Amino acid sequence: MSDRETLLDMRQVTTHYGPIRVLHNVDMQIYPGEMVCLLGGNASGKSTTLKTILGIVRVSEGEMYFRGERADTLTTAERIERGMAVVPENRRIFPKMTVRENLEMGSYLRNDRKGIREDMDYVISLFPRIGERLNQMGGTMSGGEQQMLAMGRALMSRPKLILMDEPSMGLAPLFVEKIFEIIKTVNDEGISVFVVEQNANVALSVADRGYVLQTGEVVLSGPAQELLANEDMKKAYLGDV
Amino acid sequence: MAAITTTAGRRAIPWGWIFGLGIPALVLARIYYLVNVVEVRDYAFFIGAMVQSLQLGSLYALIALGYTMVYGIIRLINFAHGEVFMVGAFISYFLFSGAPFALPWALLWSAVLAWGVAFILNLWRGSMTHPTVIAGGLVAFAALTFLLSTFQVNWVAALLLSMLFTGVLGVVIDRVAYRPLRGAPRISLLITAIAVSFLLQNTGLIVFTRNQTPFRPETDWTAFLQFDVLGGTVYTSRLMFLIPILTAVLVTALTLFVTRTRLGKAMRASAQDAETAQMMGINVNRVIATTFLLGSMLAAAGGFLWGLNFGSLNQPAVMGILPGIKAFAAAVIGGIGSLPGAVIGGLLLGFLENFMTALFPRQGDFPGLTEFKDTFAFALLIVVLLVRPSGIVGEDLSEKV
Ligand SMILES: Nc1ncnc2c1ncn2[C@@H]1O[C@H](COP(=O)(O)OP(=O)(O)OP(=O)(O)O)[C@@H](O)[C@H]1O
Ligand SMILES: [Mg+2]
Repeated sequence: MSDRETLLDMRQVTTHYGPIRVLHNVDMQIYPGEMVCLLGGNASGKSTTLKTILGIVRVSEGEMYFRGERADTLTTAERIERGMAVVPENRRIFPKMTVRENLEMGSYLRNDRKGIREDMDYVISLFPRIGERLNQMGGTMSGGEQQMLAMGRALMSRPKLILMDEPSMGLAPLFVEKIFEIIKTVNDEGISVFVVEQNANVALSVADRGYVLQTGEVVLSGPAQELLANEDMKKAYLGDV
Repeated sequence: MAAITTTAGRRAIPWGWIFGLGIPALVLARIYYLVNVVEVRDYAFFIGAMVQSLQLGSLYALIALGYTMVYGIIRLINFAHGEVFMVGAFISYFLFSGAPFALPWALLWSAVLAWGVAFILNLWRGSMTHPTVIAGGLVAFAALTFLLSTFQVNWVAALLLSMLFTGVLGVVIDRVAYRPLRGAPRISLLITAIAVSFLLQNTGLIVFTRNQTPFRPETDWTAFLQFDVLGGTVYTSRLMFLIPILTAVLVTALTLFVTRTRLGKAMRASAQDAETAQMMGINVNRVIATTFLLGSMLAAAGGFLWGLNFGSLNQPAVMGILPGIKAFAAAVIGGIGSLPGAVIGGLLLGFLENFMTALFPRQGDFPGLTEFKDTFAFALLIVVLLVRPSGIVGEDLSEKV
């Protein structure tokens, strides 16, 4: 795999919140078209990893490359323009904006009206429920609908890489399956997916590869099938399998 | 153990109905009493009070919008806003009374104004160094230098240029005083705002004047107007049209901006959730700067109209204080963070001030309430905070956190 061109390449990335070190020498690669999951317990630094990739949190040591270009010095807007998009933890829908306006915020940096309209249609075809509620306030949508809206919002930037933070959180098991089905569909269209999950079973069953984070360090990584079979993984994250 | 309460078991008191119907009923009864029973007033007098209320309320609304916008987006009570209003008034005064300026002064004015033009173009073009922005700024600089050093400035131009100038002031205040403190404890920001307020007051004393200043631009809009209605005569001026209409135009423009434009939507998004807005690629600092620009422009319009309405400007150290505090009260009464709330709160305050004094005139030993005019705003503020802490149209603040 290593001879292929990476989409995202994190090399020995360390980040801090003030004096507190959160990520420590993290090495992660995402290849074009891949779906990679990031597993780990609470406070292990999963969300911080996503925020670092997106530039909300600064890299204090190490380097990051996106599509071959040095990315850790870019602003968040520049990274989004180059093809990143995020589905944040807890969805973070703008509650007092309509569903349509929420989607528009996803395409905030774009100027191609025609392309935006096409993507709006694509999102609606993916989530018909959103199409029925374009004029409803975001805050009045159900948890599951908000998750779909957050995914739709991310797709509105026509990204190369979608970063998702715990898309299954707070959803009924049946709905989780549905969400992951859609993630798979999106991934099959060629959009790479980097998904943070606590729900390791579900995530590994659809992902190509996985990384396991523990107190800010990568302790395990490999193809999803291997991780599913790994004894340490079973004990720590997969429960009684 | 806390008892379990349900909404069904604990019927909410219908304050909306009580206030919405009760107060107008009481007011009408009182008017009837004053006109027909003790016969100290005629109906036309109260029509006049309504006209005045609308004028004053519009002014409060224009100022209150700046408080509510800034609070909505960075949760700061911008104590300097009353002073921004004061500066706006004085700037328009110097424009219509001072132009044409000597060349050095014209250059100075034009530099500030051209920077404002460039900043607005930059909001549209995305960068201060974009060719359109630089060209626009230079053209504006040349044109304004010529115009301001050659011609007099009429009241419309004075109003517009003062809005631009004061908008720049708002952006600069944010950039220099508030932006370095993003992420600092809120109290630091609050203290800084108070410092900026003092700074502007004293700069005003040094640069503008130390005296009350007559404010009389050449315009027909201040002309006296009287009309007969309900068997009496209302004495007023044409400002009864100008002030509410101009306010309505500005409020409509602002509403269209925040609901229809990309930057306006980004402003609402940033107010609701700044971090997520940033994750969408929104440059939140730029959005905040825009908020200061617009809030200060509205305050400048308010300052100009305030001058027209009262015919003079108080000296700079005090001019902004009382209108500022009252407009802040109006913003809180309406529901701070809410644009319609600021307008409703401002109008309500205008009506309250005029009607309390109109409804309780001097009568025998009773001296009337005119003396207490300035306290009504705060009395209402206390009542609203007790009954409905989130303001009239504001949502529950806990929901926002
Ligand atoms: N803004 C912040 N300031 C200071 N510390 C922070 C901040 N955000 C996160 N942290 C700390 O960084 C560590 C990692 O947090 P992070 O949110 O990345 O964990 P996580 O793996 O996503 O956890 P969870 O599964 O609970 O979402 C935690 O100890 C957290 O307290
Ligand atoms: Mg997290």
